[in-house]
Amino acid sequence: MSFVCFLPASRRTILSGLLLLFSAGLVPWFFTPPAQAADPLTIYSGRSERLIKPVLDAFTASTGIQIELLSSGSTELVNRLKAEGDRTPADLLITNDAGTLELARTAGLLHPLKMREVERAIPAQFRAPDNAWVGLSGRFWIVAYNRTMIQPDQVTSLLDLADPKWKDKIAIPNSGSEYLQAGVSVIRATYGDEKTRQFLQGLKTNADSQVYQKSSQIVDAVAKGQVAMGIVNHYYVYRYLAAQPGAPIAVLMPDQQEGGMGAIMNVAGVGIIKSTKHLDSAKLLVEFLVAQAGQKLFAELDKEYPLHQDVKADPALVERKSFRAAQVPLSKLAELREPTLALIEQVGLR
Amino acid sequence: MSTVRHQLVSPLQLVAMAIAGIILLPLGYVTAQALSADPVVWSRLWATRIPELLFNTVSLAASVAVITLVLGVSTAWLVTRVEFPGRRLWEVTLVLPLAMPTYVLAYIYSYLLGFGGPVEHFWQLVAGPQARIFSPHSYWGATLVMALDTFPFVYLLSRSALLSMNVSFEEVARVSGVSRLSTLWRVTLPLMRPSIAAGVALVILYVVSDFGAVSLLRYQTLTYAVFQQMTGRSDNAAASILSLLLVGLALIFLITERWFRQRSRYYQTSGRYRVPERRRYGWLGTIAITGYLGLTVGAAFALPAWLLIQWSLSPEALATLDNRFFGFVWNSGILAACAATVGVLIGLPLAYLANRKPTWLNISCLQAAYAGYVLPGPVAALAVLVLFLNVMPFFYGTAIVLIVAYVLHFLPSGLQSLEPALQQITPNLEEVARTLGLGVRETWRRVTLPLIRNGFIVAWVLMFLQIMKELPATLLLRPVGFDTLAIRVWMEASEEYYQLAAPSALLIVLVGLPALALLLSHDWRAA
Repeated sequence: MSFVCFLPASRRTILSGLLLLFSAGLVPWFFTPPAQAADPLTIYSGRSERLIKPVLDAFTASTGIQIELLSSGSTELVNRLKAEGDRTPADLLITNDAGTLELARTAGLLHPLKMREVERAIPAQFRAPDNAWVGLSGRFWIVAYNRTMIQPDQVTSLLDLADPKWKDKIAIPNSGSEYLQAGVSVIRATYGDEKTRQFLQGLKTNADSQVYQKSSQIVDAVAKGQVAMGIVNHYYVYRYLAAQPGAPIAVLMPDQQEGGMGAIMNVAGVGIIKSTKHLDSAKLLVEFLVAQAGQKLFAELDKEYPLHQDVKADPALVERKSFRAAQVPLSKLAELREPTLALIEQVGLR
Repeated sequence: MSTVRHQLVSPLQLVAMAIAGIILLPLGYVTAQALSADPVVWSRLWATRIPELLFNTVSLAASVAVITLVLGVSTAWLVTRVEFPGRRLWEVTLVLPLAMPTYVLAYIYSYLLGFGGPVEHFWQLVAGPQARIFSPHSYWGATLVMALDTFPFVYLLSRSALLSMNVSFEEVARVSGVSRLSTLWRVTLPLMRPSIAAGVALVILYVVSDFGAVSLLRYQTLTYAVFQQMTGRSDNAAASILSLLLVGLALIFLITERWFRQRSRYYQTSGRYRVPERRRYGWLGTIAITGYLGLTVGAAFALPAWLLIQWSLSPEALATLDNRFFGFVWNSGILAACAATVGVLIGLPLAYLANRKPTWLNISCLQAAYAGYVLPGPVAALAVLVLFLNVMPFFYGTAIVLIVAYVLHFLPSGLQSLEPALQQITPNLEEVARTLGLGVRETWRRVTLPLIRNGFIVAWVLMFLQIMKELPATLLLRPVGFDTLAIRVWMEASEEYYQLAAPSALLIVLVGLPALALLLSHDWRAA
């Protein structure tokens, strides 16, 4: 081939240079002693790195404890913890969904906690009975709508989104999303399987190809008018508005009508892994996250509803006392999940 | 003499068999898991996902095949049969898209063609403010991105077919009064057919096993679904079933490609080789040709590369170039270096035995090593995961698992460089060294190794560079603190932080360029 003539002279030199460079680099890698001054904490996090890293950085800044973060999907991380068993390097698990935490707890992966700080700061309905996991911040599954395309009185319930008149006008998360799974679980617990199935059928038809991997993409699509409405966790909308104040997007708190289900709530939370060798540092982190300072970070940076009673949510958010939450206990999300997944798959959501 | 050789070969053969076994084991485990899955899971998948996924995968492969066929053959014909200014330059630049990983091209096109993106703005200037273009997150979007990224496969194979073809056939046709167009249709293209078919089969294999582009463009294929099942469900039964289907599908196209590649040899004709005459067209023709090639290369490489550079220079992106970023560079480098080294060490005995003692056992060992071709990233990850969980759970979650998955997946491309290197040296040289009194080891050290060293190095570099841009297996298996450049691109791009993804993406493309040069001088099929 005529291409050959470009290289031979210099190729060898480049290649041996590359090889040398890497072998030189390998030496310190193999011989660096692994233990440093203070052991870092290893965290498996199912939350987007963008949302959790600033909070963890604040912890490092105040305690000097370094943190190794592995960001991935919540379910995937629980699978991983199960597989790793006692050999896991993880000290804590952070997820975006109480159901996943409860699954980890029932699988015996989490360490029960007896900490006064936790019990004082976080109301009991947002924790596991044995405190093996502790909710940190609340989020609501809301309808984000484009103000130029929708009047807020056109939709009252999440179930309205299945109405054929919204064909090609809505965006939804994909079926692997833990928010969606938790949301469908709550709807099932409230209305039963048949009505939920009809809802999902309608949702599937209306969303068609507007099925997204990330909530931030849904918010973006709504703000740009690509779709009129989307179902997301509330804070994605407020984070978007904080970055782009003029965007024509707003939050509609669904199912507040007389006799309605109430808005679907979930929490992001943390649990300490049973086999951790750094229990004291891990507890220190939990303490940091539930204390006022930590809770303020979730409120200000992430626009979530803090669970600590004395910490106020961001003033831009819908006042927490002004709306009702659905009456399905968080700890039930775990047992509801398997049949929910079966239903989602039957309907064929992507 | 024979006893000495016997002693040399036997342990090596054992090693080769062990390696082949280790390579096939993960595939076997996945198959076993899929076949032993609850029939309820099978019927549920058949009723819900499988028809859609199969249809999506096959129809995407079909449309990409058609477009790459047209693009690849036409560009190859232009640079070999037409004389125009800058021809040599175009000949090289048409290969550049291979340096762009599909996920990079996908994220650039989801910006360009996205809702409210630059292309739509431009279109609205032309067609009115309400005009819409097709969404990149669709069948056509995925087709466009995959076709732009893979047409060089067809281009390269067609080009070498056109160059090595005996022009006498065409001349005979012309002399007999057949028109130019008719000659092209009735003589040239039929002669190229095996090469074109091999190229297209390769493209299809690539499309079927791609994860990066389809995940960013949200187009549901089997490979993407395997990944989603692995990350969204608490058991791997459904993922194994889909994997098995995917392996079957990939196998069909791999066999097709092999078959056509072998057939293409029969068309080599003897006789004196001459460079075919290149026709010149007027200035209008030159403009048309340059415009066509410019549009193709521009869309597939120049424009994306320019955007990446622009984004990388933005203040947001520059702010990310801290120690953490260099940590990602380092992770990418170290993982790829380890896996490439292991791959070369493992590949060598296999290739050596199959070439020097081509017994059926040795050849099957080598063929086993090519299993990676039909193991798309998520499937390789699943296979290795299942294997480790069942056999060596204590390694799970370490870099070792990831490195094994890399080796499994990329060994074929390493072997494609090792094999020709070994074929080129005749056993006579070793035999001469032995008769002249060198020991077995000395012969290896002083004769064989120096001769194969170049092939060795090329195999290493090729594996290194491909592993560097690997995405799905890394996502699924990386240990704590082992985010790589590819992971960063995917994570940022999947949340549409285009600027933040750019520096990592640009670095991957830049590192890929020398690889391309190497690929071109050897066997580029592995790109």
